[in-house]
Amino acid sequence: MKIAGAHTLAVPQERAYALLQDPEVLGKCMPGCDALEKIGESRFHMKMKMVMASMSGLFDGTVSIADQNPPASFRLIVEGAGKIGFIKGDGLLTLIPIEGGTNVQYEGSVEVGGTIAAVGQRLLDTTSKMMIKRFFDKLGAELAASGGARLPGTMSGTITS
Amino acid sequence: MIPQEFDYTAPDTLKEAFALIADGERKILAGGMSLIPMMKLRLATPEHVVDLGRVPGLNHIGEQANLIHIGATATHHDVEISPVIRARCPLLAETASNIGDVQVRNRGTIGGSVAHADPAADYPAALLALEAQIRIASAKSERTVPASEFFLDPFTTVLEPGEIIVELLVPAEDGSEGYRYEKLEHPASGFAIVGIGVRIKKGGRGISLARIGVTGLGPHAFRALETERLLERGADLEKAAATLGEGEEANSDLYASADYRRHLARVHGRRAISIALTRAS
Amino acid sequence: MATTTIKPETLVGKKIRRREDPRLITGTATYVDDVKMPGMHHACVVRSPHAAARIKSINTKPALERPGVVAVFTGADVKDVGSVPCVANLPGLRRPHHHILAQDRVYFVGHPVAVVVATDRYIAADGADAVEVEYEELPAVADPEKALAPGAPAIHPQWPDNTAFTFHQDGGNVEQAFREADVIVKQRITSQRLIPMAMETRGVVADYRAAEKSLTLYSSSQAPHLLRSLLSSIFGIPENRLRVIAPEVGGGFGSKIDVYAEDMLMAFISRRINKPVKWVESRRENFLGTIHGRGHVDYYELAAKRDGTMLGLKLKIIQDIGAYLQLLTPAIPTLSVLMMPGLYKFQNISADVIGAFTNCFPTDAYRGAGRPEATHGIERMVDILAAELKMDPAALRMKNFPGKDEFPFATATGLSYDSGDYALPLQNAMDAVDYSKLRREQQQGRAQGKLMGIGMSAYGEICAFGPSPATPTGGWESATVRIEPDGKVSVMTGCSPHGQGEETTFAQITADELGVDIDDVVVLHGDTLIVPYGIGTFGSRGTAIGGTAVYYALQELKNKIRSFGAMLLETDKVTLVGGACVDEKSGKSVSVAEIAAASYRAMKLPPGTQPGLVATQFWEPPNFTFPFGAHMVITEVDRETGKIEIRRYVAVDDCGKIINPLIVSGQVHGGVAQGLGQALWEEAVYDSNGQLLTGELTDYAVPRAHMMPWIESSHTETPSPVNPLGVKGVGEAGTIGCTPAVVNSVVDALSHLGVRHIDMPLTPEKIWKLVQAGGRA
Repeated sequence: MKIAGAHTLAVPQERAYALLQDPEVLGKCMPGCDALEKIGESRFHMKMKMVMASMSGLFDGTVSIADQNPPASFRLIVEGAGKIGFIKGDGLLTLIPIEGGTNVQYEGSVEVGGTIAAVGQRLLDTTSKMMIKRFFDKLGAELAASGGARLPGTMSGTITS
Repeated sequence: MIPQEFDYTAPDTLKEAFALIADGERKILAGGMSLIPMMKLRLATPEHVVDLGRVPGLNHIGEQANLIHIGATATHHDVEISPVIRARCPLLAETASNIGDVQVRNRGTIGGSVAHADPAADYPAALLALEAQIRIASAKSERTVPASEFFLDPFTTVLEPGEIIVELLVPAEDGSEGYRYEKLEHPASGFAIVGIGVRIKKGGRGISLARIGVTGLGPHAFRALETERLLERGADLEKAAATLGEGEEANSDLYASADYRRHLARVHGRRAISIALTRAS
Repeated sequence: MATTTIKPETLVGKKIRRREDPRLITGTATYVDDVKMPGMHHACVVRSPHAAARIKSINTKPALERPGVVAVFTGADVKDVGSVPCVANLPGLRRPHHHILAQDRVYFVGHPVAVVVATDRYIAADGADAVEVEYEELPAVADPEKALAPGAPAIHPQWPDNTAFTFHQDGGNVEQAFREADVIVKQRITSQRLIPMAMETRGVVADYRAAEKSLTLYSSSQAPHLLRSLLSSIFGIPENRLRVIAPEVGGGFGSKIDVYAEDMLMAFISRRINKPVKWVESRRENFLGTIHGRGHVDYYELAAKRDGTMLGLKLKIIQDIGAYLQLLTPAIPTLSVLMMPGLYKFQNISADVIGAFTNCFPTDAYRGAGRPEATHGIERMVDILAAELKMDPAALRMKNFPGKDEFPFATATGLSYDSGDYALPLQNAMDAVDYSKLRREQQQGRAQGKLMGIGMSAYGEICAFGPSPATPTGGWESATVRIEPDGKVSVMTGCSPHGQGEETTFAQITADELGVDIDDVVVLHGDTLIVPYGIGTFGSRGTAIGGTAVYYALQELKNKIRSFGAMLLETDKVTLVGGACVDEKSGKSVSVAEIAAASYRAMKLPPGTQPGLVATQFWEPPNFTFPFGAHMVITEVDRETGKIEIRRYVAVDDCGKIINPLIVSGQVHGGVAQGLGQALWEEAVYDSNGQLLTGELTDYAVPRAHMMPWIESSHTETPSPVNPLGVKGVGEAGTIGCTPAVVNSVVDALSHLGVRHIDMPLTPEKIWKLVQAGGRA
């Protein structure tokens, strides 16, 4: 499934670029994730609990950052596997400076496999969007808590399978 | 069904139920039409299932002071055939008759469906149009939340851990209102691709009140406020319906794209309003 | 001798309620999952979540440590067990070794990787969850056309072109036909992958007794003897020590002809643990590990004269094979080739089939098996030609049928159609709907923006498989009829009915032939220890071949009854009528029951006669049979939503002589339901990584009762000369006739918008988009 959208962060481009690669920030803001543990250059170990409706599952995997082009773009790759299947997200994040902040545009794909793929397709689109939204909401909240301004988050997305 | 091991308790009172859901990986069973299939696939693996099905009186349906009280464990079938509901808030009965299939309607409950908050469930559209209230209780407190504030995201509501939906409160109608629930159902699941619940009152020269709930279109059910406003201001039906779902995020899956869902919202919206108008007196 | 009641009434041709139904509708039938044995263990299969991956490691220890887990087997344990069998053959066919557990790679989502054996089913499932498998994912391909494209990932590394086989057939001179044509129409037509979805999933109980060196296997199978023979050769267990029982089978639709990895796996496990072991497929596993049907991408070219005379047909079939060959996988598209001319006279064809490996579960026989695809293709092409020529589609069909006096009719594909009157069902269907009036209504409606469609199919099918040289499993059938000492009749049939109603129809034939009460007849089947040998139920063969074997066994038995009767009545010649032998001279009679008692008591025997009343016949058919018919479907399309409503469904089927109209209607109804499923709702959708996205009943839409239209079913009866009963077969007819009639109807509703073809399933959004585009498709 292809996924694309945009979100606004109330920090300058360089700061947004650094924040979005900071394992502590990513760990805190990724829904269901406790912390990321560095296992290599731009590569982190991730444990995530995904909850969607009555479904829940633990995923064990990695978060990696590639194709770094500071402060304009990079690729974020999230891979996790568990008893109920596996998930893979691969997105290109493009950071565009705007008045009072940065517009973060993302474009990429989400793949799921195993049992969740078989019963989850109806909800994959809406759940993916919700997870991304929650990530940016949390990030916004973190920024606000650390004294930054909070912009009203705007979010748009298109999905094609 | 070969689920993972779990404990099962069917408490006799709500008080016991509150104690049982106080901690741990608990799931409330209120019919099981969504939970059980997930447990069967081991996608849901609760440690403890607390079945509300044996709490006496929790499935009551009755009228008190112009409010229809519907207990959380009333089945869809109970709602569909209840004379009180058919007489005093018929939109809800019509919606219930559109849920899933006979087997689902015999087992599934209104409280279970509302708490589960599937973005394609039928009830929320009607509850929004009916301006229903959802009465929630926990061991310590009780609160009542309007349906319009209840649904937050897919499968996400204002319910906090430890809380249980006790009943739904629907303002009783006098029979003059027009109503309609229209949906395109998914041929496999029976869920609403888009479902529109409409309640309308005629007054003076036109529509004095319009309430429209939309399900299936976005991440959660919502009121079509702009369409309601246009109708109440005497706008042309076609024009008003064209605003249904405008600006809302639309779901997309294998069966129906976001564009198609938006289109369906407008078509079914227009049809539902138009049928509601013919029913209003 | 006592005078017995004469039973003048005959039952063949009458609506007799199915004798198997009481146990089915009261929940008292015994299915595989109802089989319980002392000491029985339970197995749960660990399956791959990936469509293509290398297995890096398997850690079975966490499973083995769980109390109650008895054993865990992986690919290494079973590497010497033979391949899951495919009995079909084609020149140059590539046969990947289909191990019962994956070796170093997995080839489809659901590929069995390990099996956990435990003392109960829950522990087995927990154990399966505890097995740790590490995979290295490999690129996968799920689309057959993409699999054949250069640079596609190789499903099997040894065959990088992903081609399982190619097959070519010519008839007449197609190039000349195309040169002589005034008009050539071309269309790509798909028949999407479907999931057969028997209500009862598969299940196996294997019970190996080391002391007796014997194996008893309960399996939800359509062909228990075939399963016995194949298991015998795979495991080296002699057939006389191997018993296969297919108890009640809750639907198969072709998917249970196969021998599956799990049949073999349970036999293997029971032998290893020396205990009975049971495995019952979950619905989820049924999606992933039971054969799928269809999976065609077809390219058609039809050549015709301006006056509508069809001259020739070219067809290229790309068959989605899946990752392996199941029992009959490569044979299925060759049936499409045989049926490609449909009911039409033209004598020039050319067909190419390419079997494409994909990272999906194999396709194989599903209700109709190759004929629905072919019928859908030719019947769509006829409509496309009619549109091109601006001819009425019914008139175009009528023009190209062979006349009813032209039978047997030799086709361009080498078949000999046994008997037929093809115009009759179509005319009946047209009359039933008042065709010309409907066309006028359609014209008037269009002016008001109404989208009403009139669609038809004139279908033919090849069935009653079949002459043995043309049927990979063997094509004959056996029957034993035994009149017990008390006069009651046991009929043992080698075809293994599972819903087709032969416990009733064979009892009707038997009751009529012997003149006994139908309640005195029991039809037994599905147990290799009871039935001498048999082939099975598939390809609409049960009554035409199995019933004929019963008929011939009854004739043999009747001769013996008459000789006993003559002896007992002390006369030369008796007539067997109404359940008794009658000496017409004296008027004395002796009942079949009395004869049975005397034959077993054997105080006195007719010269050259042995005691007892048992006859066995194996019948080899000289030809297939060729049922036909016409379906007419009136649809209304909601132009705003794209939703299709079936206003009328008229099915006129000719399955030869009808033994039980109630059962024939039931078969038509069920067949049409599955046809509508394909036309409107069902599709196995894989994503580009080979994940089955419609992998549960929440997304895969099988038709349910409230979705069915009223089916107006009627029949014409053209007897088949191939067998003495004159029957042809009806199990698959509804499915075959349905899809083109529905699609033709919807295309007809949209034709004035320029729509020429729509691929199935006809989902509302697809139709809405076509209406939106004003037909620009």
